[in-house]
Amino acid sequence: MTIKVTEEAKEFRKRVLATPGAEKIMHCYQCGTCTADCPIAKRVKEFRPRNIARLVMYGQKERLMEGDLLYLCAGCYTCYEHCPQEVHVSEIVSALRKMSLNEGHLLPGFKALMEGVAEMGYIYEIDEFANEMREDDDLPPAPEPDTGGIEAVMRATGFLGKVEASTR
Amino acid sequence: MKYAFFVGCTVLSRLPGYEKSARKLAEKLGVELVDMPGSGCCGTTYLETLDHKTSLAMAARNIAIAEEMGLDIVTVCNGCTEVLTKANKELKESPELRAEVNEVLAEAGKEYKGTSNVKHFVRMLKEDVGLDTIKEKVEHSFEGFRVASHYGCHMLKPAEILMSDDPENPTMMDELVAATGATPVEYPSKLECCAGPVMGVREAVTWSVGLDKVKEVKEHGDALVTACPFCYLTFERCQLMQENNPELPVMHIPQLLGLAMGLDPDEVGLTHNKVGAKAVAGRLEG
Repeated sequence: MTIKVTEEAKEFRKRVLATPGAEKIMHCYQCGTCTADCPIAKRVKEFRPRNIARLVMYGQKERLMEGDLLYLCAGCYTCYEHCPQEVHVSEIVSALRKMSLNEGHLLPGFKALMEGVAEMGYIYEIDEFANEMREDDDLPPAPEPDTGGIEAVMRATGFLGKVEASTR
Repeated sequence: MKYAFFVGCTVLSRLPGYEKSARKLAEKLGVELVDMPGSGCCGTTYLETLDHKTSLAMAARNIAIAEEMGLDIVTVCNGCTEVLTKANKELKESPELRAEVNEVLAEAGKEYKGTSNVKHFVRMLKEDVGLDTIKEKVEHSFEGFRVASHYGCHMLKPAEILMSDDPENPTMMDELVAATGATPVEYPSKLECCAGPVMGVREAVTWSVGLDKVKEVKEHGDALVTACPFCYLTFERCQLMQENNPELPVMHIPQLLGLAMGLDPDEVGLTHNKVGAKAVAGRLEG
């Protein structure tokens, strides 16, 4: 596929570069250490950290935001530790996820997870029944999370509003 | 020794065996673990990738509770360890970020001061309790039992933030395994991620990573120990889904240590382990 670096593409690259953690993308010399060591890349052919770095350098927003590509990163930091140029592809993926959410998009599973935390204070509901089970195991009741405070924090930053309004 | 105990959502609701063994082991070692009133989700490693400020604030809200208790935090989840440690470091280093986050935390009636530290349970055992104390307490040697350790990514990485062990050659868990008399074993994929975090996106990938590791460990050892709820669930579930279950025992590291120190299988919650619990209990009788 021919790649055209349009003004729009350059603008996109500039925005990624301005995200904390993603500043060093232009230092990438495409050695591929990240891809060679990535546990996901070994099993998913479309997930190639090196390609992600390259696509950002060429400002190819559409290809990066396609499907669930950005959500295939396990966040294991192997590329972060191994990159000889300290490019930190994992942080670039994070920057792209943030950008995607700011534009109104989030994977439904992530949306449900975050809304659940705001509502329950935990990622799972820990109700009376769960606490009875815990008692059977000689465990104390789970701390009762301050759900009001948690929701207020998530809303005060504007994050929860963005999550609620997001679509795939 | 006294710590604020941050158990984390997944262990609290899914893995009583891990929590129970950690609590009983701590008791045995004279370590007091105090529950944190009002604490909740750490924020998750996912949130770190979605919104920086919210991630810091969610972590800081929990850290602030430990600060009020005047204690450092001990966690049993790698995800919580990474999230809380990273936020703590960033907030301690940047007065600007701290001010921004405290503005948000006021909504929850909390203030982050930067007076508590965060440590994984494994690191607490190694650094604060010490291997000598642990060895002294061992009543039942696991001699001849070959145990592979899976550290999990977020106990170690990013290394410049976690500062807990060498991410390329970690030894903490292996040293604890050796303290029980068991033989720590090496295996090629020791440092590879369990891929648990992509379970909700591409499930088959997680099972494939898990199973590859299980098969490899089986060639070298008798059991696999973990220190993270997500890693444990991956290695247990990937086996249960197989028609021919490889039946590699998977244990939480405090279970192994607790059994070695004379706790009985029920006290370390071994009945909750779905793969290989019998084989491990059999070791005790032999």
